Amino acid sequence: MTKTTATRLAAFVLAAASATALAAPTPASLGEAIFRDTSLSSSGRMACSTCHDPARAHAQDNDLSVQLGGADMATPGFRAVPSLRYMNPNMPFFFANDGTPTGGFTRDGGANDLIAQAHTPILAAHEMDNIDAAGFAARLGAAAYADDFRALFGADVFANPDLALLVAEYALSEYQRTDAEFHPFDSKFDLFLQRKIMLSPQELRGLALFNRKDKGNCAACHPSTSVGGQPPVFTDYTYDNLGVPRNPQIPANADADYFDMGLCGPFRMDLAARTDLCGQFKVPTLRNVATRHVFFHNGYFHDLKTAIEFYVQRDTNPSRWYPFDADGRVRKFDDIPSLLARNVNTSEAPYDRKPGQAPALSDAEIDDVVAFLKTLTDGYDPITDSADPARSARGVKSVDKL
Amino acid sequence: MQHRMLALAIATCCAALALPARADEAALKAEVDALRAEVAALKAEVQQIHAAQSAPAPVAQAKPVSQQPIAVTDAAAPNPGRSMSDAATANTTSLWGYGQIDYNHPTARAADARADLTRAVIGFDHGFNDTTRVYGELEWEHAIASASDAGESEVEQLFIEHALAPNYGVRAGLMLVPIGLLNEHHEPTQFYGVERNFVEQAIIPSTWREGGVAGYGNTDSGFQWDIGLVTSPNLGKWDPTSPDGRESPLGAIHQEMQLAKAHDLSLWARLNWLGVPGLNVGGAMFAGKIGQDTSKQFEGDANFPADNSRLLLGEAHVRWQSGPWDFTALYTRGTISDTQDLNLGFLGQPTPVPKAFWGGYAQAAWKALAWNQSSVVLFLRYEAFNTGAAYATQPQGLGTPPLPTQRVLTAGINYYLNPNVVFKFDYQDFRYDDPVLDYGNRFDLGIGFQF
Repeated sequence: MTKTTATRLAAFVLAAASATALAAPTPASLGEAIFRDTSLSSSGRMACSTCHDPARAHAQDNDLSVQLGGADMATPGFRAVPSLRYMNPNMPFFFANDGTPTGGFTRDGGANDLIAQAHTPILAAHEMDNIDAAGFAARLGAAAYADDFRALFGADVFANPDLALLVAEYALSEYQRTDAEFHPFDSKFDLFLQRKIMLSPQELRGLALFNRKDKGNCAACHPSTSVGGQPPVFTDYTYDNLGVPRNPQIPANADADYFDMGLCGPFRMDLAARTDLCGQFKVPTLRNVATRHVFFHNGYFHDLKTAIEFYVQRDTNPSRWYPFDADGRVRKFDDIPSLLARNVNTSEAPYDRKPGQAPALSDAEIDDVVAFLKTLTDGYDPITDSADPARSARGVKSVDKL
Repeated sequence: MQHRMLALAIATCCAALALPARADEAALKAEVDALRAEVAALKAEVQQIHAAQSAPAPVAQAKPVSQQPIAVTDAAAPNPGRSMSDAATANTTSLWGYGQIDYNHPTARAADARADLTRAVIGFDHGFNDTTRVYGELEWEHAIASASDAGESEVEQLFIEHALAPNYGVRAGLMLVPIGLLNEHHEPTQFYGVERNFVEQAIIPSTWREGGVAGYGNTDSGFQWDIGLVTSPNLGKWDPTSPDGRESPLGAIHQEMQLAKAHDLSLWARLNWLGVPGLNVGGAMFAGKIGQDTSKQFEGDANFPADNSRLLLGEAHVRWQSGPWDFTALYTRGTISDTQDLNLGFLGQPTPVPKAFWGGYAQAAWKALAWNQSSVVLFLRYEAFNTGAAYATQPQGLGTPPLPTQRVLTAGINYYLNPNVVFKFDYQDFRYDDPVLDYGNRFDLGIGFQF
């Protein structure tokens, strides 16, 4: 965010705060209205909630690797939809002291906060397709709650489309930041951490396998520990290159020269010269991972167990995951230019193995890990021992049932 | 088995020191009587001087409590500990300091050889009047301290001391925990070997300090006592993914009065008997809750199941210095309660919280040569310690087995150019290598000084 933009936004925040003191609406309530308003897209059929369905832990509700949008709702996107839950502890993008890229929002960290995160989906041709601020401001000015917007942010807020867009993004960020449905911490694992319930034997085994450095080693990037009473969000906010297979279900991949390389492009270009970072994507939270329809940045996998099998068998049985060259050899890491294949993480467990070696997790152990991961689903009901993120979205606290 | 071996070593050490004590019992008694008479005469003389003086006293070379030598270079002198021999003097300020430079060379991992300016310390001691003083110690570790460097800059001690009587008083502020033999006497001229012994780093996390109030004193019969009410470690700091807790359980959670969570407090108590010149027999304990009400510190639902966890650390020691000989034996053991639920959330993590940890060592030193102010001291030390001797049980066989007991044999030389400048060499033999904790056979070189 530029300094000028920040200054102007600060003025609006103050104005909003003053208005909030008198009566509703609030920035958050307007943010919620925008979040669910399909009229703000060129198709009239797409809102934020279309891809970030509250009932699906604010992620997609279908099996498509990438979603369709645009004026005709037929223009394909480029990356799988991330969940919008548990974003509050995240931070702007930066390089840690040891050089590790950290923080940032979206798959490549190109947005530095919740405000910036909303920018691209509103404008992008394959999403809400507003193209520019003027197009969006015109639609927002015609919305049913436009007068509330004027009351909160000023009568002439729509006279400057750039400001109208910025204020809308701010309202969206406030909604996500303050509404408990985006961070309910009401999974079975949360109740377990609070010692209100006990995990099943299989779930406990899965937790141990998830944490063990010589087994899943999942916690190396998806920390599971509560530090100082803060519940874990199962991401360390860093980036990794896992060598996920190229996904033919993404139309852009029909071009053999096209590669989505995360930190070094093609969507953020400020790190394009850092070829050592090519292929790295943000480590996502694993909360609600069992509710996802697709996995990894390109949505290649559609099943949680298969995704875990890829982790532990990528290097022991590569022929299961990658295509063969003309000479019959497995073409490992086929979704990154061959000269950059060295960027793929091959040093940490469970990738530090060779063909023929036993995977770090057996089939039964993978089942245990899956059982544990299912405890991370929001909206746990201890009576039925089931979880549903929609329950969190409706404001039902699972702990109330205990 | 490990305990038996350690007990045997300690008993052997004690037996060795007991023999000369019996042989010279009559001579020692006479010496004690003579020293007591001398002290009484000196006290009377000091009182006369104070009465006669109307002007402020000249600048005194007041040695800070922790700087008082424990007679490494003068094995015949008793450990003065926290005696009142350095009572505050009005309007006097003294500066003091010490430094330590080390070189470690693992024999099997020469590439890990390391040279380090381990510590540079400046201290001050200002007497406001005859009974009250402020005392501080400022330390830099590892040469450079900045956001991108490994060094640290820290206030290690800062407290007010007020003498209520010639032989007892009170302190308030950030103080060293009076436990073990090294924590208060951690200057490089005060211990044998390039590095501090492992027991008094891994189990007693030297230099360990807490903030609060304390009382101190001694008796004519040779007892030295301390009692304090101070801040506790914070179990909420425990990181099961880090090796820090395996290196030193209490070192991983003590707070060093850096915005220390102070919901829970602890007590310390120490009793030493110094009634025979050259002998120091005593023990100490540190006990208190360490949960710090962490579960209430998150706005949502509580996630910390060890609010009521308690720490108990006990220690016993004996040191006998006679002629050229200096024998030491020390044992310490700690327990942390209510770790079962906490560790349940750490299943599979490399460093769960131990419920018991212990360590002990026996050490013999011999002043082989002495000339002018210089001396050469040879020493041998055997240590055994375990930072994870026991863990709370967990279901499904998912519990953590005890860590293996580490044993270290150290042999070396302290060459004192003078009593305040020392050059050191030693060789350390470890039972097993542990690159993560930097444990492995090595030789070490060191330079130390104090003033």
